[in-house]
Amino acid sequence: MRGALFLGWRYLAHHRFKTAVLLSAVTLMIFLPAATRLLVADSALALTARADHTPLLIGAKGSQLELVLNALYFHAERPPEITSQLLEEVRETGLATAIPLNTRFQARGAPIVGTSLDYFSFRGLDLAAGRMMGLLGECVIGANVARSQNVGVGDSLVSSPETVFDLAGVYPLKMNIAGVLEPSGSADDDAVFVDVRTTWVIQGLGHGHQDLEKAGAGNAVLTRNEKAITANASLVQYNEITADNVREFHFHGDTSGFPLSAVIAVPNDAKSSTLLRGRFQNGDIDGQLVLPRTVLGNLLETVFTVQNYVILGLVMLSLATIAVITLVFLLSQQLRHGEFQTLKRMGASRGFVSTLVASELGFVFLGSLLLAAALTWGARNYATEFLLSFMTL
Amino acid sequence: MKKILIILLMASLMACTDKAPDNQDASDTQTRPVVVTSNYPLYFFASQIAGDQIDVRFPSIDGDPAMWVPDGDDLAMLQGADLLILNGAGYESWLAFTSLQGDNILDTTATVETMLLPIEEATVHQHGPQGEHSHEGTAFTTWLDPKLATEQARTILQGLSNLKPDQSGLFNANFTALEQGLYELDRSLARAFAALDGQPVIYSHPVYQYLQRRYNINGRSLHWEPDVEPGTRDWIDLGNLVRQHPAKLMIWEGEPTVSVREKLTQMGVRSVVFSPAGNQPGEGDYFEIMNDNIAEFMALF
Amino acid sequence: MAEIHINGLGFQYPGSRAFAMAVSELHVMAGECVAIVGPSGSGKTTLLSLVAGTLLPDSGEIRVGQTLINQLGETARRRFRIRDIGQVFQAFELLEYLDVTENILLGPIIDSAVNEQLRERAAALLSSVGLEDKAHTKPARLSHGERQRVAVCRAMLNRPGLILADEPTGNLDQANKQNVVDLLIKQARDNGSTLMMVTHDHSLLGSFERVIDFEELTGASA
Repeated sequence: MRGALFLGWRYLAHHRFKTAVLLSAVTLMIFLPAATRLLVADSALALTARADHTPLLIGAKGSQLELVLNALYFHAERPPEITSQLLEEVRETGLATAIPLNTRFQARGAPIVGTSLDYFSFRGLDLAAGRMMGLLGECVIGANVARSQNVGVGDSLVSSPETVFDLAGVYPLKMNIAGVLEPSGSADDDAVFVDVRTTWVIQGLGHGHQDLEKAGAGNAVLTRNEKAITANASLVQYNEITADNVREFHFHGDTSGFPLSAVIAVPNDAKSSTLLRGRFQNGDIDGQLVLPRTVLGNLLETVFTVQNYVILGLVMLSLATIAVITLVFLLSQQLRHGEFQTLKRMGASRGFVSTLVASELGFVFLGSLLLAAALTWGARNYATEFLLSFMTL
Repeated sequence: MKKILIILLMASLMACTDKAPDNQDASDTQTRPVVVTSNYPLYFFASQIAGDQIDVRFPSIDGDPAMWVPDGDDLAMLQGADLLILNGAGYESWLAFTSLQGDNILDTTATVETMLLPIEEATVHQHGPQGEHSHEGTAFTTWLDPKLATEQARTILQGLSNLKPDQSGLFNANFTALEQGLYELDRSLARAFAALDGQPVIYSHPVYQYLQRRYNINGRSLHWEPDVEPGTRDWIDLGNLVRQHPAKLMIWEGEPTVSVREKLTQMGVRSVVFSPAGNQPGEGDYFEIMNDNIAEFMALF
Repeated sequence: MAEIHINGLGFQYPGSRAFAMAVSELHVMAGECVAIVGPSGSGKTTLLSLVAGTLLPDSGEIRVGQTLINQLGETARRRFRIRDIGQVFQAFELLEYLDVTENILLGPIIDSAVNEQLRERAAALLSSVGLEDKAHTKPARLSHGERQRVAVCRAMLNRPGLILADEPTGNLDQANKQNVVDLLIKQARDNGSTLMMVTHDHSLLGSFERVIDFEELTGASA
């Protein structure tokens, strides 16, 4: 039957266009449902893994999904803000490590995540280069940010104004890159991490300016008495925090009223988790506490339902495709009647001709299977990351 | 046969890579917890208590540690420390602009918060529609009061014992010796300042609040730096101050310039240096510096 | 060289009362080049199919050399067609998706018996018909004359004792017709093969040693 396989192969190779069309059709028939299922499963796994690893999330009352998506994936849709006071209240309970998050701002499209150093050990993030942010204004960037914006340790990023017309509000702060993180395959790869107080500087709640007590500040002084110095509008404010001017940066007002997007609470143990949840349920602490896994679980149920409908649709389409391919195939066999007659007259058996035809089908199916496997492998390795990137849009 | 040899070779290579590198031994610094302090007195106290059980470090700082701005290497050291021993009372102004892990910080004045002194002479600045803003603070040279210093050392003892519980016996014994030293220092300082007998003094810089309170010193403060020539305004302020507060002695945190010393002498004001010992000394330790301070002071009487 | 004996041959296509063929006797000497001439649709192709073993007679016997074809099983008859005879068809019947060399080797391909010796034989045959530079060309790029020459090479690959040519010049122009006939006869003589060619074209008969009238052979003219 080697001869039949050879002839089958040569036939397919000769009719390249037809073979390519068949190959594509069958490949898609196999790939689309398989990839849909795998990608959804992989994405769900990635989503739930991150949610599983985030025990408790605290935020303002409102949409739980928005809170979770923003805190876990730095989604652009921001929940209502809470204050730093809530962070302190959680810390004072002694029941959990409280990690602040402020995700209001962006730098060239990458979300700026204001947080504390605890976040990195919590997420298991390691440095690929440099060090953790140390001085106010320094940042640590995710691997994808470094790659896409072609920046590294020693370079800088500038925070983006929120609107073109709000330049006097949100502070375009030049942030020096202290470190670059190892790739983690999560939303952290696409983020710019700063100390939460840096985000308050960006927001204009803190700033740095020339020292009004020093002699050279004369032109910027409006009035001066024993107890107070009033500055005028010519006061120079810094848009970059350096070792030389960091002492001139300060906050005005009570920082406990400064905003946060959310607080990640890592309870000391199961009992602490229950006690902390009780405090929120009883209203002892004002805000909402959610279990990210539960919130995402509800979302994923919907996703799986949609997935099933999509796969059903694809299966129906596949059946139609099979019908069309069968028709094309039968017509093709009719057209090849003369060829088969020649083979029989030359001495080929009926079995030989059947094997020839079957081998053509077999090659197409095998080729499609291999292509579909390769595409599925590619989709699993690259498309999952691509799909999850939509979480940060 | 060939396969067995290859397996043996691979096993021996693996065994070699498991071996510890040559530059490490069992008792090297990498197995000891690392503790970093924010000023020299705390470094001294922690070193006395810990002995060689803990790697106590104090960053190399140029100038006053209270005005320190840590660089990249310093920040890495602070962030990597197992325990960060701070003075508290607002001493570490750099906390306001640095990012540190929250769970390894030890505030040595947390237990004596009620005994801290406010800074009365704070300048306020304002700008914009938000109005007046104050930068009031707390006096932070707490270690100049041996009683407060003892409490700070006690907090350090607790912190180090939590870090290395198996050595708490040793730490306790070392603390007892340190406590005795601070007690004797307190008595020496009391004897020294008793010689003032209520006479008014002037401080070159407002860093002696706790010394003043502890030993009932009648002092008022300027804002002079030892290495900076005072301007005309400064001399006028001094003159006005002396008229209200007829001091014959100015206590400096560092050696003033010869010309300043001479001019003060002409004004009838003697100068004496009492180093707060906030930074690592060129030579000597905390007790030696304090004893040198006492000796120089006593030489005036 | 194969001698052909046909005695008392009777054949009727199943379900067809319209067509029936009978050959009382036909003898072709070994190495003889014989042309069987008759009108189109008279059954000449059927005769060749019976001799080749593609069809089985209803009665009578067909002997090619020492082999009684009508008594062979299907597998044996197929092997007979691949290994012992060469066939040339009117419509060339080259496979479009194989190149010239692969078309020549079609028999061994079917038999899964391609070897280096046969490849060399194919190259030599191509060379003998002046097509050595077309060895890897697909049939679509050949002229009709070139295709039929390739078909002749295919038929000659196994040095067959018998060559059956069914209207091999049917799709050729006049110049090529004679060329192909001459080629067939030359190959047959060079190889010592018996050649049976059926045709309706009387202009080609002069090249053959013997011409048999098909209608006389089958008694159809009676």
